[in-house]
Amino acid sequence: MTQPASFTFSLTSPTARYGPRLGKIALRRPGSTVDLQIPTPGLLTATSRGVVPHLSRDHHRLTDAIRWVNIPFETFLEHNPPVPTLQPGQNPLHTFLGFPPGKHLLSISARDPYDGREMPPNGKSHVSVYCLRGVRKLSPTDWSSYVLSCQPDVVFALSDIPFTDPPYSQKRLTKSIERSATWLSTILRSETRQNVFVQMAGGTCLPARKAFSDSLLERLDGPEADAIKPLTTLDEGVRGYTFDLVPLRQCLETQAKTSHTLSHHEIVPLIKTSLDPLSEQKIRLINSTESPHEILHYISHVGIDIFDARWAQRAADIGVALDFAFPVRSTGAQKDIGHCLYDTQYTLDFSPLADSFRGALSQGSTSPICPCAACSPVVPATRIYHGADTPVVLGEEPRKEAGTIYRPHVSRAYIHHLLHTHEMSAHALLVMHNLAVLDAFFAGVRKLISDAPERWEAEVLKFSEEYDESVTVFHQARASWREVELARGKGRLAREKEKKDAEGLATAA
Amino acid sequence: MQFEVIARCHTTRARVSRMTLAHGTTVLPTFMPVATQAAIKGLTSQQMESLGVTLILNNTYHLNLRPGLKVLAEAGGAHKFQGWDRNLLTDSGGFQLVSLSKFTTITEEGALFASPFTGEPTMLTPEESISIQHTIGADIIMQLDDVVSSLTTGTRVEEAMKRSVRWLDRCIVQHKKAGRQDTQNLFAIVQGGLDPNLRDQCLDAMIERQDGVAGYAIGGLSGGEEKDIFWRIIKQCADKLPEERPRYSMGIGFAEDLLVCVALGVDMADCVFPTRTARFGVALTHDGPLNLKLSKHARDFRTLDEKCPCPTCSDKTSRAMLHHIVTHETSGAHALTLHNVIFQAQVMGQAREAIIAGTFPEYLRSFFARYFGESGYPEWCVNALRSVGVDLLEGDPDGKIIPGSGVRWDYAQGS
Ligand SMILES: [Zn+2]
Ligand SMILES: [Zn+2]
Repeated sequence: MTQPASFTFSLTSPTARYGPRLGKIALRRPGSTVDLQIPTPGLLTATSRGVVPHLSRDHHRLTDAIRWVNIPFETFLEHNPPVPTLQPGQNPLHTFLGFPPGKHLLSISARDPYDGREMPPNGKSHVSVYCLRGVRKLSPTDWSSYVLSCQPDVVFALSDIPFTDPPYSQKRLTKSIERSATWLSTILRSETRQNVFVQMAGGTCLPARKAFSDSLLERLDGPEADAIKPLTTLDEGVRGYTFDLVPLRQCLETQAKTSHTLSHHEIVPLIKTSLDPLSEQKIRLINSTESPHEILHYISHVGIDIFDARWAQRAADIGVALDFAFPVRSTGAQKDIGHCLYDTQYTLDFSPLADSFRGALSQGSTSPICPCAACSPVVPATRIYHGADTPVVLGEEPRKEAGTIYRPHVSRAYIHHLLHTHEMSAHALLVMHNLAVLDAFFAGVRKLISDAPERWEAEVLKFSEEYDESVTVFHQARASWREVELARGKGRLAREKEKKDAEGLATAA
Repeated sequence: MQFEVIARCHTTRARVSRMTLAHGTTVLPTFMPVATQAAIKGLTSQQMESLGVTLILNNTYHLNLRPGLKVLAEAGGAHKFQGWDRNLLTDSGGFQLVSLSKFTTITEEGALFASPFTGEPTMLTPEESISIQHTIGADIIMQLDDVVSSLTTGTRVEEAMKRSVRWLDRCIVQHKKAGRQDTQNLFAIVQGGLDPNLRDQCLDAMIERQDGVAGYAIGGLSGGEEKDIFWRIIKQCADKLPEERPRYSMGIGFAEDLLVCVALGVDMADCVFPTRTARFGVALTHDGPLNLKLSKHARDFRTLDEKCPCPTCSDKTSRAMLHHIVTHETSGAHALTLHNVIFQAQVMGQAREAIIAGTFPEYLRSFFARYFGESGYPEWCVNALRSVGVDLLEGDPDGKIIPGSGVRWDYAQGS
């Protein structure tokens, strides 16, 4: 049985229990002597059906921001057994999905943490999951066996988070935390010791959250203890704590306690209640933040280490090029955190995608370089030959320069054009750019914590003054995106009608 | 343009040549992927470059609508706009005008149509088409021709052919007047429908104008005509066109069509088919197309083609993984687009190598045997290749011949 990679997390700065902190994940695969390192705070790339949306494999490898990749596994339950579990060879999940083990940490979660759709209730021994063919029941034992065959680097234990109709009764919450603990023990029982993360259950009920954390620390005895030997508590087998925001926001909204965008003020106490009794040495992960402001809030008030990038990736879907930096480099009138490139003001704008970054070849700016394939395209080092087309035949000088040769940046005007003509390349370029901007943001966060922690609060304040926190640019973009999609639909319908009419004529004749 | 034939097939009319334009050299015969809106679907210019593609096509009609000439002019032309440093060809916009715009009327002056933005009557003249293509700045530009469907019959075909010749004259004048001959190359388009007589007249007239044109396209085909007529017209044109000019067969993309055209003496072809079919989940392979949507691929851990050098295959992406994402995720389309662009390039590249090595007839026989093997050779391919001295059935006396177009699909095996 192949052992999973060893996963260590170490805090590298002295820190308070709750507050900005620096850390480092080191992943070492069996037989290897090199660590895959991920500094924290940092990002996790979201996937859909096992791929980073819009990116071909060569593109996701070009994007250094992509290190930790999470795979919601539910889409693979369309087949039984799930196809990735049948992949032969080493590192089956990496192989199947095309993520080089030397470069990417892969985690799997049963569900897409971003998906808040209403679902049938979970059962005593199953979670309801969603795939294209409908709802499936996933049992903790099946989950363990999928993990064993797929060999991800990190697994999120199954947990009983209801997606029925909030609010939830005391009884439902009790059931939720009991089941979540039991299912955690199932995965800890696995023949090989997995790197397990656990979702902190208990919903928006503080006592329930505390009870769940306590249950992790409880010294087990009898058959329960035998099951997880040599562990004495569940917590000993846990590498990290996870907080999915979608179900928490749903509960808070039904309780009408808060509006969506301000929910982080309500959520911090919930998270702290869960973390209070637990070790501060373990990694803390949040799914489904929606802005850099929210991320800074969780870093400031909790000390979260890993954040999913789903919102930044989604921004690329709706035509937004992110444009923000931390610490803020220039101050002025309040800005949006990105540009909605559908907007006609970009028709003739040939500048790089962001003001706060330049392309490798851009002139007249002192901003740092955005390394993405849109801002700093690189001449491919090699190209494929097909027959009698080598540089010799073409009469071309062979390439002399050894290093990287850059091309001019992709312009806002070009992406604007691609968006309005429904060209998928727009989204590929924007995804790579947005991930790079978010990655640079985290690098800025880490540098400040490391070099000038005393300036943290002032810089966070400056950031919130500099950039619009209500992210109106996303609302605009969503509206433009819909408009263009609708116009396309109309055009298509007109074309289809025309075709039908023509066919009608043909049959009549 | 520098154009130099560097090898000829000893049996067929196929040849290998070097065509040097303002953005580098392209070795012919070659297939040109279509970037209608200034992007190959889902890919970037750097990806296209890494695939070894040196010549792509943009559509004038589309670029003129969006982003429009003002943007292209300010960008410094379509090359800079899309970050493409290699060769580029634009069509005249005429074909799209007729097929996509409702109320197009052709007059001697030009094509009159309703502006898609305002509905106003708008005129696209030959001069206008050339000056639009000057702004776009492609290395090869096409004359505006009077396009009729290949199924049209009667006097309209003759009228369109003759008008295309007159329009060619106006295009040549406009092109010279602008002084763009050094950086951009004008191609004529041979018309004349399916009538060999009209084709001959058109060829004569256009060859007379050889000094004003850098190359010749064969137009007015691929519109649903009988394949047996299609190849005869291609052969007639390719036989007669001057040796020292490249020959471009418009709208050709199926592998069998490409190889037959190459054998008949064609140097260039373009088609949206390989990139479009990728978006519908179909991968082109030497064993015929694979429809990745079919559930038979769901647990197949083999790559599309062991020998394919494309990023998808060289990374060993399995058919099972592709089955999981095609038509659901854009990256599924990207994976197949990368592969299909390479497939086309390989079919043509291997043809070039075989022509140089003197083994082109053998290449044709082995390609067709593998591609059509069990389903049988399309009769028209057998006939077309016999006309240039290659018998596909040589060494395969039991080979099956099937009438009709014989296009290979992978739709039969239900999902
Ligand atoms: Zn960028
Ligand atoms: Zn391939």
